[in-house]
Amino acid sequence: MQKYAVETCGLTRRFGARLAVDDLNLLAPEGGVYGFLGPNGAGKTTTIRMLLGLIRPDAGEVRLFGAPLAADRLSLIRMAGALVESPSLYPHLTGRENLEVTRRLLGAPRGLIDDALGVVKLAQDADRRVREYSTGMRQRLGLALALLNKPRLLVLDEPTNGLDPAGIHEMRELIRRLPVEFGATVFLSSHLLSEVEQIAGHIGIIHQGRLLFQGALAELQARRREHLTVGVKQSEQAMRCLGAAGWDAQRRDDGLLAVSAATPDAAARINSLLVSQGMEVFHIALAQASLEDIFLTLTGGRNETRRAA
Amino acid sequence: MMSLIRVLHAETLKLKRTLAFRMIFVAPLLVVALQFFIAWKQPRPGAEFNLWDMVARTSLSVWAVFMLPLLITLETALINGIEHGEKQWKHIFALPVPRHVVYAAKFLIAQALAAASTLILCAMTVVVGLAFTRLRPELPSGAIPFVWILKHAAFVWLASWLIIAIHIWVSVRWPGFALALGAGIGGTFFAIFAAGARVGKYYPWLLPVNVFMEERFTTALLLGAVGGLIAAVIGCVEFVRRDVV
Repeated sequence: MQKYAVETCGLTRRFGARLAVDDLNLLAPEGGVYGFLGPNGAGKTTTIRMLLGLIRPDAGEVRLFGAPLAADRLSLIRMAGALVESPSLYPHLTGRENLEVTRRLLGAPRGLIDDALGVVKLAQDADRRVREYSTGMRQRLGLALALLNKPRLLVLDEPTNGLDPAGIHEMRELIRRLPVEFGATVFLSSHLLSEVEQIAGHIGIIHQGRLLFQGALAELQARRREHLTVGVKQSEQAMRCLGAAGWDAQRRDDGLLAVSAATPDAAARINSLLVSQGMEVFHIALAQASLEDIFLTLTGGRNETRRAA
Repeated sequence: MMSLIRVLHAETLKLKRTLAFRMIFVAPLLVVALQFFIAWKQPRPGAEFNLWDMVARTSLSVWAVFMLPLLITLETALINGIEHGEKQWKHIFALPVPRHVVYAAKFLIAQALAAASTLILCAMTVVVGLAFTRLRPELPSGAIPFVWILKHAAFVWLASWLIIAIHIWVSVRWPGFALALGAGIGGTFFAIFAAGARVGKYYPWLLPVNVFMEERFTTALLLGAVGGLIAAVIGCVEFVRRDVV
């Protein structure tokens, strides 16, 4: 039977009138990386805060390794390490001292500090004060804090935020190694599909607080292929025309149409159809589906709020 | 209990290189510097005068009415400010540490800093007194009143627990120094007006100095220490229930 490191059941949280997380049912299998994907403001951080017990859900339940979080938060949270948003560091202390603060709070053995510094490659700079650290070093130290107790579950919220390309690459390699070398499950949130699909085996996509998709990466990639982007001056007319011909066409924020077809043959037929109707086509291409395209596909263009924004 | 010891152990490391730690020396130094000036300018005294009475009483009174409340304001704002700076609360609460233990540790650390600083004041007061027995040998002195100094230092400290509880709650609840310092300075400032009034007997920022008044002594000690513990528990309950967003 499949075991889950993270399970949520009907998880719901409001902030005033705003429904931040709405009836969320996540299933993150043990081992491997689970990519929790969604645009900014989709409810990722709120969900992660509920997974860690930082905020309470209005309804629903969080289970870690099969046990309800609400019943025994402290012993379950002992199995988890987290880096939520920016790392929480004390700038007046050195990197090693920051780890020592967390080590004392955990009551963990001293040897773990050097282990964690080694994993994130910060041993050389461990005795410098954190206020002298670059963003990348701070992020790695944040990861070291999360890794300190050798957790079975590592929750990382946008860990590459603010990093330069080299830093992103380094962080990605580090995250990829964690399940293999430490047997940890990584629950990783991001707003970048390109980032998540390089490391995650399973994906959950959240938008406006609701889960739009959950499953293996391969399943998502299968859906992604069914896309063409079409640029046509008479876009309204083109949408009606394509709709009448059986294709689903949605207008993207950049003005192009996302069309539910992805073969060269279909592209040729769409082009002929539009041109024969007197429309001026200036772009037609197989889509490198962005997260936005996936949202459009998954929501079937019901994203009125997002598109208006 | 073990988790409290662990959190206190971590708190002591956080104090390293901080102003909060340096202030426990600076605050009493300011008071004894003032004390030194007063003793230096002391006119030829009457027959009743005793150097140690003057030095010890002035030192602890200035400490109780003015410097200790301000020190508590600053210390609590600093020890909780470092948790607001980079949103450390979310990291701490994602660790297997009960929230009430984190709050209790903050309260105990603030108490310990106030106690340490008060003890340093006692030591500095004795040094200043000894210096004046040499510098102005004409001033009548006597035996060093160790017991009186330590006893009253302990009373002042116990009566300050309510201020500590108020400031821990304020500085944990709201990030930024402005509100925490505003509350402390405001509280100390209004103490000047409350001192003569009947309400002065119960005014939190006056409780430490009230221990020197016979008619207010018991209230100051009970309201300060027991009231402080009750206020800390109330603050803790609010802290435990709050979301960390």
